[in-house]
Amino acid sequence: MKRLCLVCQNIDCKTRGSDKLMAELEKKVAAKGLTDVEVKPYMCFGACQEGPNVVLYPEKSWYAGVKADDLDEITEHLAGGPHVQRLDTIDSSLKELIYQLLDTGVF
Amino acid sequence: MEGILFPRGVVAGQEGLEEYRARGGYEALVRAVKTTPEAIIKEVSDAALRGRGGAGFPTGKKWSLTRERPEQPRYLVLNGGEDEPGSKKDRLLMENLPHLVIEGVIIAAYAVGANKAYLYVNANYETAIKSTTDALAEAKAAGYWGKAVLGDSFNLDIELIPAPHNYVAGEDTAVLEVIEGKKAWPRQKPPFPVTVGLFGKPTAVNNVETLANVALIILHGAEWYRSFGTPDSSGTMIFSLNDDVNRPGIYELPFGTPLRHLIEECGGGIKGDKKIKAIMPAAPSSAYLPADKIDTPLDHNSMREAGSSLGCGVVHLVGEGTCVVEDVLKASEFFAAESCGQCPACRMETNTLTTLLKKLQQGQGGRPILEQFGKVIAFNKGKGFCNLIAMPGPPIESALKLFPGDFEAHLATGKCPVN
Repeated sequence: MKRLCLVCQNIDCKTRGSDKLMAELEKKVAAKGLTDVEVKPYMCFGACQEGPNVVLYPEKSWYAGVKADDLDEITEHLAGGPHVQRLDTIDSSLKELIYQLLDTGVF
Repeated sequence: MEGILFPRGVVAGQEGLEEYRARGGYEALVRAVKTTPEAIIKEVSDAALRGRGGAGFPTGKKWSLTRERPEQPRYLVLNGGEDEPGSKKDRLLMENLPHLVIEGVIIAAYAVGANKAYLYVNANYETAIKSTTDALAEAKAAGYWGKAVLGDSFNLDIELIPAPHNYVAGEDTAVLEVIEGKKAWPRQKPPFPVTVGLFGKPTAVNNVETLANVALIILHGAEWYRSFGTPDSSGTMIFSLNDDVNRPGIYELPFGTPLRHLIEECGGGIKGDKKIKAIMPAAPSSAYLPADKIDTPLDHNSMREAGSSLGCGVVHLVGEGTCVVEDVLKASEFFAAESCGQCPACRMETNTLTTLLKKLQQGQGGRPILEQFGKVIAFNKGKGFCNLIAMPGPPIESALKLFPGDFEAHLATGKCPVN
């Protein structure tokens, strides 16, 4: 299975530009030649107020409040670079809920 | 039995003004305008009339909450959106007994002190719109509404508004939005419509069946009304049976009638000579009941004690040989499709639950998937503007509890144990 870069496309994230972010991420991932990564839309991680939200799976890295300027670092992470600590702001209990859902194949 | 709303049975055609008057029609209104609005509210409260749109809220209480507001003007809205799948009761009332409904509207408007009433009617109900429009013209010509109702100082204007046909358009605050010329999106509550309703003013929004009871209560009195039904749920309720039974139709029964009577005597039993596996008393949003609850009385308290609810009376049956996973998936898909898209939490919940059910249906996700439903439902509890977000929970959680074998079988084989 490909590694996933899931970009929330529910209402709040979308109004904050998550559709554009997803398109940009697709381009950057392709430009890096990361053929094992698929950038995919996702129906909501339940952290609407902190969006746009991007979750890398199976790495289980959750990046919140993502802006266009952050995309290079996220792409670097996907290419084996460091975890982007400053975007890792989500509460651990919500992370657990969503990661369990992802573990059951809900994407 | 003969009902009190449908004394001639539910199949008789449209009742005209003369016919309605010959059986006491509009006498309740004559009495009403001679007494005070407070006395009307007291009579309806004493009758213990509860809303028939699903929530069962006490009607007299709703009216007094509206009336006691100082803001003017106040409004009365008849909610005939009726978007619950399989519900036909309000349509039939408006088609066959438009004067009974209109008399209820006029008395309700008088009680809450509204000089404007809106009849919000499902735009697909062409026959109901026509019979209501005919009856409005007859009633106006007879002086029952308009300027100086029956010579009293009470003025009432009534306007019919066609309602869009989608599920949330029947939610009371979405009704207000549509009447104001906006999209059918529910508002955040509180404030409730009784406080801040139509155009920001106090508004009583009542279901069609609820208001159809009002003239009878005023005409015959609260005591007579309470002789039907149970102390908790007075009067009768109209139940809708669909293709699950041999005789689909709508049936008016006193509250407290055993569920078995509705299914067997009225509906002629479940179709196909099968045994009943599960009963959903308020499809598609109530908990399933197991077959051994078939003698549960049809009233609010008894249904709650049995673990489900009455809703607006659309009773759905699941027969032996039908997989509950498949059945509950249909309900879940319905809510995902009908979520209006306004509240992120509702979209998240309805879509995630549907995806989980589909994965499970295909045998994916392993045993941990069974634990995800409750977590997603709990996470979204209390979120969202309207009640739709609370609706997928009871069917799914009761299905998991009552019929774990159906879920296990899907997980184990990736196939339906039945089909």
